[in-house]
Amino acid sequence: MIRRGFLAGLAGLTALAAGRRAAAADASAQPRRPYRIYMALFRGWEEAAQGFKDYFSNQGIPVELIVRDCAQDKSKLPEFVAEAKALGVDLVFTWGTTVTQEMLGTIGAVDPARHITDIPAVFAIVSQPVGAKMVPNLQSSGRNITGTSYLVPMETQVNLLRSYLPVPILGMVYNPLERNSLVAIDELRELGAAQGFSVIAAPVDVVEGKPVAAGIPGKVAQLKQAGAGFLYIPPDTFLNVNRDILTQAALDQRLPSFAAAENPVVTSKAMFGGVYRYYTVGQLTAYKAEQILVHKVPPRDIAIDAPKRLSIILNMPVVRALGVYPPMNLLGLAEVIDGPEIRP
Amino acid sequence: MSWSLARKVSAALVALLLCTGLLTAVFGYYKFEDVLSSLVRSRYSFVVFTIKKNVEDRLNLGFALRQLRQIQEAIELEKVRDDQVLGIEIYDSRGEVLFNTDRGGIGTSVPAKWLEPLEATTTQPFSLLDEDAQLVGLPLVNTLGKVEGAVVLRFPAAFLERELGQLLGRLALELLAALAGFSVIAAVASYALLGSVGRRLGGMERTLDKVLADGGFAEPDPRDEGGFETRFAEFVLKTREAVDHISESTDEVERLDRLA
Amino acid sequence: MRLDSSRPLLIRLFILAVLVLVPPVAIVSYWAMGEFERGMIPEMDKKAAVVGRDVTAQVERAVDLGIPLDGLVGVDEFFAPILQANPEIRYLAITGPGGRVLFARGIAKETLAGHLMRAAPAGDDGKAAIGPYLDLALPVGSRAGIGGQVHVGFDQGYIGTRLGDIFYDIVVVLAASLIVAFEILMFVVFFNITGPMKLAAAVVDRARRGDFTHVPGGVSGDEVGHFIRTLSTTIRRADEQFRSLMAYIDEVRTAHFDKTVVERAGEIAERVRFLYRFSETGRPLVIRDQLATDIRLPLFLFVFAEEMGRSFMPLYAREFGTSFAGLSAEMLMALPIVMFMVGITVASTWAGAAIARLGTRRVFLTGLIPAAGGYFLTAFAESVGQLICLRILSGLGYALVTVACQTYIARATVEEKRAQGLGVYVGAVLTASICGTAMGGVLAERVGFDATFVISSLLAAISGWLVHRLLDAGQDGGADRNDGDGDGKSLLRLFANWRFSALLLFAAVPAKMALTGFLFFLVPLILWKAGLTLPEIGRTAVLYPVVMAVLSAVSSRLSDRMGWRSGLVAAGGLIGGLGLLTPLLPLGLDAPTGVALAIVALGISHGLSASPQLALVPDVCWIECQSFGRTKVLALVRTVERFGSIIGPILAAAFIPAWGLDGAVVVLGSVVLALSVIFMLCSFAFGSGLHIVAEEDEE
Repeated sequence: MIRRGFLAGLAGLTALAAGRRAAAADASAQPRRPYRIYMALFRGWEEAAQGFKDYFSNQGIPVELIVRDCAQDKSKLPEFVAEAKALGVDLVFTWGTTVTQEMLGTIGAVDPARHITDIPAVFAIVSQPVGAKMVPNLQSSGRNITGTSYLVPMETQVNLLRSYLPVPILGMVYNPLERNSLVAIDELRELGAAQGFSVIAAPVDVVEGKPVAAGIPGKVAQLKQAGAGFLYIPPDTFLNVNRDILTQAALDQRLPSFAAAENPVVTSKAMFGGVYRYYTVGQLTAYKAEQILVHKVPPRDIAIDAPKRLSIILNMPVVRALGVYPPMNLLGLAEVIDGPEIRP
Repeated sequence: MSWSLARKVSAALVALLLCTGLLTAVFGYYKFEDVLSSLVRSRYSFVVFTIKKNVEDRLNLGFALRQLRQIQEAIELEKVRDDQVLGIEIYDSRGEVLFNTDRGGIGTSVPAKWLEPLEATTTQPFSLLDEDAQLVGLPLVNTLGKVEGAVVLRFPAAFLERELGQLLGRLALELLAALAGFSVIAAVASYALLGSVGRRLGGMERTLDKVLADGGFAEPDPRDEGGFETRFAEFVLKTREAVDHISESTDEVERLDRLA
Repeated sequence: MRLDSSRPLLIRLFILAVLVLVPPVAIVSYWAMGEFERGMIPEMDKKAAVVGRDVTAQVERAVDLGIPLDGLVGVDEFFAPILQANPEIRYLAITGPGGRVLFARGIAKETLAGHLMRAAPAGDDGKAAIGPYLDLALPVGSRAGIGGQVHVGFDQGYIGTRLGDIFYDIVVVLAASLIVAFEILMFVVFFNITGPMKLAAAVVDRARRGDFTHVPGGVSGDEVGHFIRTLSTTIRRADEQFRSLMAYIDEVRTAHFDKTVVERAGEIAERVRFLYRFSETGRPLVIRDQLATDIRLPLFLFVFAEEMGRSFMPLYAREFGTSFAGLSAEMLMALPIVMFMVGITVASTWAGAAIARLGTRRVFLTGLIPAAGGYFLTAFAESVGQLICLRILSGLGYALVTVACQTYIARATVEEKRAQGLGVYVGAVLTASICGTAMGGVLAERVGFDATFVISSLLAAISGWLVHRLLDAGQDGGADRNDGDGDGKSLLRLFANWRFSALLLFAAVPAKMALTGFLFFLVPLILWKAGLTLPEIGRTAVLYPVVMAVLSAVSSRLSDRMGWRSGLVAAGGLIGGLGLLTPLLPLGLDAPTGVALAIVALGISHGLSASPQLALVPDVCWIECQSFGRTKVLALVRTVERFGSIIGPILAAAFIPAWGLDGAVVVLGSVVLALSVIFMLCSFAFGSGLHIVAEEDEE
């Protein structure tokens, strides 16, 4: 799925001319040719890409987006690098850890021949920008790139979870093959030691090197038995795929569940979640692109950060079914998913 | 014009009383205005804050400010609820009015000074003064931490005078009455206090005149041992004596003169 | 009541002033408070309605999402910030069907339930008076069957507490009014009664011993004036009779041929002359008297005007922005104070010479022009540069006026009563300082900085008008008697006297440094940062002159009685220095309390040491005082002291960037303390071998 670039609405151009401050900020102060941005995606056009694009039209910044999707195929990426260089675009946008690593190169392994170096780049949806060796720290990349992070820090997640219901024992089902989940357990335990809660983690069964989804309900029951008061759902690809099984099991066990990702709450039956929406992350990435393109800020001077505001999502049918109601203040901040009644 | 002592002192006291009364009244009024307008402003801040929350919740969902059509109804509802509200406006960071309770104002530009608070602060409420209206406003911040615009609420600047004119008028009258009453007391009391001084001086003058004209003695107050009046009595006596002596001497010289 | 003594009359008049000034203000304030409280209720209602609507909307949202009313979670935490942000709202509560109180904050559930039970049913608008509160009830939910209500409670007493701040303002205004009343009454009594009566008494005392050479002067139209005129008419008449007798005798003596008659006439003349004295000049001499108190009211008003800006000058300077000539923001705030002191220093070096040529009255009036003009233009200053120039101008004027007053008082009082005369000066300056500092803050808060400066200039103008009207133009002027000689260069030899130098450098200079650096400069900044209002800053800063006023009366007596002047000076310095270290105290004091403590310590310090310090000067350099004249030596002391005033704010401003406001106080305090410790050590040596250095110097 490859979309050709298109021009952001002409309305944006007139808005630019009318806008006092934007005009002042633009050095040329003239309606200029659109900025050309090369968007390299990993699995098609989704919310982050949409947020990125919408930001420019909302701000009235004319851009020409050249959109390429590698459809989870790493081998296409060298072609993208070559094409971006050949087109001489103003900025490159990379989606996901794989695309970002392959196109921009990791620290110490940047090759001007294979990677994009002269063109400024912004990345999005890289879960561990430091861990993935994209940047030495979040304050500055030290090179011609910047980006956004999208994972909610564990402490924020835990605070949110405990503001809903301060349970003494937190349960967690995880995929032992996924490194992110193991990191999450460590982080949770550390926070638990500081804040006074314990964590029970149940790994899903692995058969022939592959996790098995069928065992999930049993694991959840096991956690409930052990006294867990809340189920923590980590941002884990396997669990994301099997989110219906997992969240339904929690509901059956009358166990409230918290998800660190959007899907289990929005499209399944997790009770609530605290996430940075991909759309918002896309907008924030575009904001950084604006700093580079319009305000001429060098990418190395732009810190890598996450959106300021967390999206708290409440799945009301699940809340009602469990009878575990959110505190008023949390409710006031939350976005609510409502729908027909469900039964555990 | 000659001013008696009592008149001087009572004038000083009355002037002081008036100044004090006036100053207190002015301070009292300003304080009252302060408290009342902070109460009113806090109410409007609250209204503005609820609108801000409403808008930012929607911005958080990824909508652009200018797309939030429901906000127009929300601000119109707030205006209907409070007849003191002159208007509520939401404008973007470039100063274009996006929503306005006065729908005719949509699309116009706000004065440049309305944009200043957006650059200085990001979360603090601000207040501005329009021609005859006061404004409270709050910046609208999107999820990226960027100021997208602001919501302002306008309310009449002179509400205090209008609402409480009668009350203030009555209080002013009461104050004047109290000041007048106490001015009279001040005058009467200072006449009473200084009258005795005047009387004693007058008494001494009369004694002086009498003794010099008719002879006799000045009778000092026996309680005034060694005081001014005793010394004055001696003075009167001495003066009389001197005058007598001089006139006797004159007579003597005259006699001598004639003798020859 | 004695007619030529002012005290009994003054006391009575002052009691009258209190009785007349305090009750009307108190009564009307009390009425007004009640009226204001009632006047605010409609606004309170509206506020409660707005808050209630918002709370109700959120509760409704929860209920609409299917959360049962009694199953709401975290209501307390939900109410808490609302109550905190809206202090006039005393409680928030949610009641269920049948009025059962489900949640409440700010009031106990049982109390509210009790009130609700007893209360009359709410009107259509949902308002009811329950117990001490006004309660607004808003129904929850459009859907039938919920039957819940959100209650918003507020009480009228809140307005009272908010308006309570005004109490302090009224007290300040009243106290200042009473002080002004005291000054004015004192002036009226001295100028119109005591002064003329003293003259009358002097004349009467001469005349009762047969001396008719003098008549009292003065031409006021009141009873005293009338009495004085009668008195002088009587004396003049006796004088005329004497003169006509003498003329007659002369005529007889020159014209008469009979020698015995001439002799007899001569004897008569001799006898009269022997018994009575009459003026030699042909008419009785008019005696007038300069009273030190005559200048007191103008001086009071003038210092009042200057002190108005005291408590907020650095804050005012800050309003002009923070960039000028590459100086730091702190330095810019300090410069107006510093430059005022520079102005004073410059002008006071030639004020003495000017007075010798022009007289005190003209110098006073001349000095008023830059001073009052400076205040007036300060109100319209547009940049920090202009402000600084105007402060120099005001400083020049201030020095001329105050030196003129000092000279006037010194001339008006005879040598033995110098202390009394000095008391008049210090008294006027201290009371003016109390009034000015306190009122300046209150005024600035209400009418703004600029208007306060305009008021200052008006006060100064009134002071000038008084001097212009009341002080005789003719009678002063002429050179001061030149006591001692010696030019400026030889005066510097004074510093060879180590006692003198120690007194100056380690006692006088640090005292002024602490005063200007801390009280004038740092105090307003710290208190402002701590969130105090201008009247509160004024009320805190006023502690200094109040403590000073109380203590200086005690300490001058103490130092005279104990003869332990250097000890008092040393003790004062140590207390002042230690006081500035209060930020280091681990008492957990909030900033305003700490600053107040330090100010009190400074007041004690200067109250203890100020007059002994002056008295100590002749002690430590007796010989120099003889050779140069005490006036010159004291002038040198004042000039050197002013360098302390100048560097105080500069040091403080230089410390702020490195150590912060509190740190600057501590470091300044350490400097003061270190210098004071040196002085203390020196003072131990003061007693031994007096004046040796000076005597050697004389050889």
